[in-house]
Amino acid sequence: MKLFGKKTVWLKVLTASLVMSLVAAACAAQTETADQALQIANSANSAAAAAQAAADAAAAEARSVQAGAAEMQAAIDVAQAAAILAQSTAEDNEAAVAEAQADLDAANSALADATVAAEKAQMEASAATEEAAAAQERAQAAEMEAEEAAQRAEDAEARAAEAERTAAGTQEIKLAILSDCEGAFGAFHEQDIAGVATAFAEYAGATITNRSKPTDGFTGASVAGVPINLVGIGCADDTAEAAIRETRNLMENLGADIMIGPLSGDESIAVANYAKDHLNQTFINGTAGAQDTTLTVRAPNFFRFNGDGAQWNAGLGDIAKNTLGWETAAVIGDDYSFAWTSMAGFIAEFCAAGGDVISRVFPPLNETNYSGFVEQLPDPDEVDGYFWAVGGAGLIPALKAFEDAKGPVDGSQHIGNLFWGTPGQFEQLGGRVDGAYVGGFGIAGDLKTANANRHMEIITRHFDEIPFGGNPAPASDAHGSGFFLNYHNAAWGLIQALEAVNGDLSNNHEKLRIELSQVVLDGAFGEIRLDENRQAIQDQFVQRIYTDDEGNLAIRTVAFIPAVDQTFGGTFDGDPTPSRDYPACEERDIDWIGNARTVVDGIIQ
Amino acid sequence: MNLTRIAEIFTGKARPGVSGTDYSQRTKRLVAVFFVVLLVMGLLQAFTPGPFRHFFVDFVLTQSLILGIAASSLIFLSAYGGMISLAQVLMYGMCGFVVGNSVTTLGSKGLKLGLNPWVGVVIGVVVTTFVGFVLGVISSRSSGLYYLMITLSFGVIGTYFFGQVTQLSGFGGVNQVRPPGYIGEPDSATNPERMFYTTLVVAVIVYLLLRYVSRTPFGLTLQGVRDDPVRMNSLGYNVAMHRVWAFTLSAFVASLAGVLYVWEWRSISPTTINLFGIIDLLVIAVIGGILMLEGAWLGAFVFVALENYVRDVLLLNNWIGEDRFRTLVGAVVLVLVLACPDGLVGLRRIRFAIPMSIVGGVVWGTAGGVVIGSGGAISGIIVGAVAGIGFAGLLNLVKEFDWANSMAGSLGKYRLKVSAPRTD
Repeated sequence: MKLFGKKTVWLKVLTASLVMSLVAAACAAQTETADQALQIANSANSAAAAAQAAADAAAAEARSVQAGAAEMQAAIDVAQAAAILAQSTAEDNEAAVAEAQADLDAANSALADATVAAEKAQMEASAATEEAAAAQERAQAAEMEAEEAAQRAEDAEARAAEAERTAAGTQEIKLAILSDCEGAFGAFHEQDIAGVATAFAEYAGATITNRSKPTDGFTGASVAGVPINLVGIGCADDTAEAAIRETRNLMENLGADIMIGPLSGDESIAVANYAKDHLNQTFINGTAGAQDTTLTVRAPNFFRFNGDGAQWNAGLGDIAKNTLGWETAAVIGDDYSFAWTSMAGFIAEFCAAGGDVISRVFPPLNETNYSGFVEQLPDPDEVDGYFWAVGGAGLIPALKAFEDAKGPVDGSQHIGNLFWGTPGQFEQLGGRVDGAYVGGFGIAGDLKTANANRHMEIITRHFDEIPFGGNPAPASDAHGSGFFLNYHNAAWGLIQALEAVNGDLSNNHEKLRIELSQVVLDGAFGEIRLDENRQAIQDQFVQRIYTDDEGNLAIRTVAFIPAVDQTFGGTFDGDPTPSRDYPACEERDIDWIGNARTVVDGIIQ
Repeated sequence: MNLTRIAEIFTGKARPGVSGTDYSQRTKRLVAVFFVVLLVMGLLQAFTPGPFRHFFVDFVLTQSLILGIAASSLIFLSAYGGMISLAQVLMYGMCGFVVGNSVTTLGSKGLKLGLNPWVGVVIGVVVTTFVGFVLGVISSRSSGLYYLMITLSFGVIGTYFFGQVTQLSGFGGVNQVRPPGYIGEPDSATNPERMFYTTLVVAVIVYLLLRYVSRTPFGLTLQGVRDDPVRMNSLGYNVAMHRVWAFTLSAFVASLAGVLYVWEWRSISPTTINLFGIIDLLVIAVIGGILMLEGAWLGAFVFVALENYVRDVLLLNNWIGEDRFRTLVGAVVLVLVLACPDGLVGLRRIRFAIPMSIVGGVVWGTAGGVVIGSGGAISGIIVGAVAGIGFAGLLNLVKEFDWANSMAGSLGKYRLKVSAPRTD
């Protein structure tokens, strides 16, 4: 232990020296800039000196010109004297000749003097000019040097800025996405990635790589001038182990700063726990809906912009008891955290409204043969209705097993959770589910609001096709998909928060975390804000399956409950968390029972 | 190509060194070198950035060592006891669950007893070893394929037990398992290598322990039991009891892997020990060599590295994503089982295999490293080496197969059957 103790000190010293060297580097960058400034000042000085020299040269030139003029004057004088002498000689006036001769001599000597002076001035001038030229050259060199120095100073400044950003970790933001490409929800993989990609294309200037294959990713995203690079798309299979393995690969190997994901309940609990141990990174839930993830684990760096399974089912229990008139119900759902949460929402509300849950059956997730589990359910004449929380790949086999064991499915005797209403899935249910009510997903595909229309525009603007389960499907189908919506909202919330902090991830993403918890999304299907556990408070919709005029199955929104929070009207507090036998069936007070607003033709009444 | 040998291996009838060449001395040296290389890698990782990134050592190598320990318990049973046990995954998973339930205070599932981590380790190892003893008693009188089946059923029962008993775990598993303080928190950058060193030390101890046991009178008797249980019985040895103790010892070793697993992952769920997990451990043992202890860690490294760098395999990365990991591992196992039934440790006995694997590994690894980076290099080395081994196997096949005679022979047999049916 002592050895390890020492080592800690050792490593602390190492860390301290690292930090110090970082500080020193920053200082050096500053010093460098000062040096550059000095150099610039110097070069300015030398430029000034060159100008002085040029001025001097000009003065000397002027002087030499003056001397030249004097010389010329002297020459004129000589010429005049010579002329007078010649005249006098011609007039044969001896005295005049002698005088003229003397004048000429004097003029000649004056000329000689002037010539000497002029020559001297000339020399001086040329020397000055030379000096000026040299000074000019020096000035030019100094100017170039100054330019270079300025360039270097700029570079140094840029480096210093980058060093500062590096210290803050924001010269680029590495983003990872975690979704399921295998397991019960593998079919929704492309919808998930498309949700993130459209958000970055719409709000962060990204370019979609392939308009028919979202998993090819996107490039060129940036927020507040900081580029955002998609470093990897993780592929899990709804198990906690695969989710952690993929998360570690994305965060530790590919070095992502921020991860959007995961998809499924147990995965999200594991990832939220992982997040708790990795506070220098930020995690934003994809579309997982287990209650424990935020209400129990409460990792400070894990955010969820979607409701949990219970929130999504707000309004269902009320409808079962008071609209359909069920007194008793049987529930069947996958044996894992999301389905428990999903059932908890139905059970809590149904029992609060006065109903009784007489049977709970839990096939394991990814079960393929449901016959044994369906046998455990009461027969259709022993119970008023069934609630289904079997999801993903298991839903259709489970319904088929029910038909084999209990006879045809009567839509009005069944309520499904969100999987009954998810595009790609509900079409497979067939006409037997006509009239069944369906739990929400924070989504209402037929809602006629400006935001809902805008959501559709965003999807079709960036994608032509969003495949489902490996088969091509038109992008517009994703409009009704909560998988798409939740991944989209997660990315959108992230972009808003990054914009607010100018992409600053310094100090373990401190600013980003504060900003993320305050984001309010003006979402496609209502406003989303986060509670103190960083969990969405979200408007919820109840939907119903019907057969449209062309004989195809379609989804209609029938009820609206605004701003459902995770405590589900005060029912849950995170301990215990939903499980096979929790919550118990007892009467409670849930304030939206009997108060849900109806939705007719996509308009909230 | 030796199909008889493959059959022998999977029914527990094969034993190490059947060809008469004792290559264990050389392998011992190789293993020593292997562990030293790991030690150096750990040191490099602690003091340098770059290729020895934390992920490679902290996760890939650590995970390889942990799975190697688990696989070594399987290989110990098969090599010295002739018992191929598929319950080893249950053993290490069970220990993980016991430790998890004992030490967690937070998280949403499990008993949350909140005990000291070391107390948790003791409870985990003792409980697992005891359960190993009980399961050993139950399975001690079966052998061969039946032993395989009975241990497989233990494994599957274990998965569903922890999945269904939500008081202990449920399918979501136990989270927030805290290792002892000296390993430290994962987000404190001061000690990322401690988990690796701990695992390395335990791996070396396990290797030495199992080697030592195989040379004690108990180990020698066990090998006698493997080769001829009837004769050993008539000589007065208690065959069943030897099998029980061997299984108990392997459960103890597997439980150490379980402890390290929850320390490394800080969570464990039934999906870790489901049928895929069981097959994964068998695959690790087969890749490394199911008859030599040393193969355990070699196989584990190949498996874990492929699992983590599968998206970086040069030339294959356009159509092999992480969702195709099992396809790739399946291909690797197929090639190895056909070309070299004794796994990677038996490579020396296959003509051309070592040079070919070196050539393949160097070429593919270098290309992958240049084009993709360190992940490409690691996965390239593995895939290239396996391709080389496969090629060597193919060469041997072509060389050894007497095409003309065998064709004529089978035709002759056919004609014989048609024209002259046996009348006696």
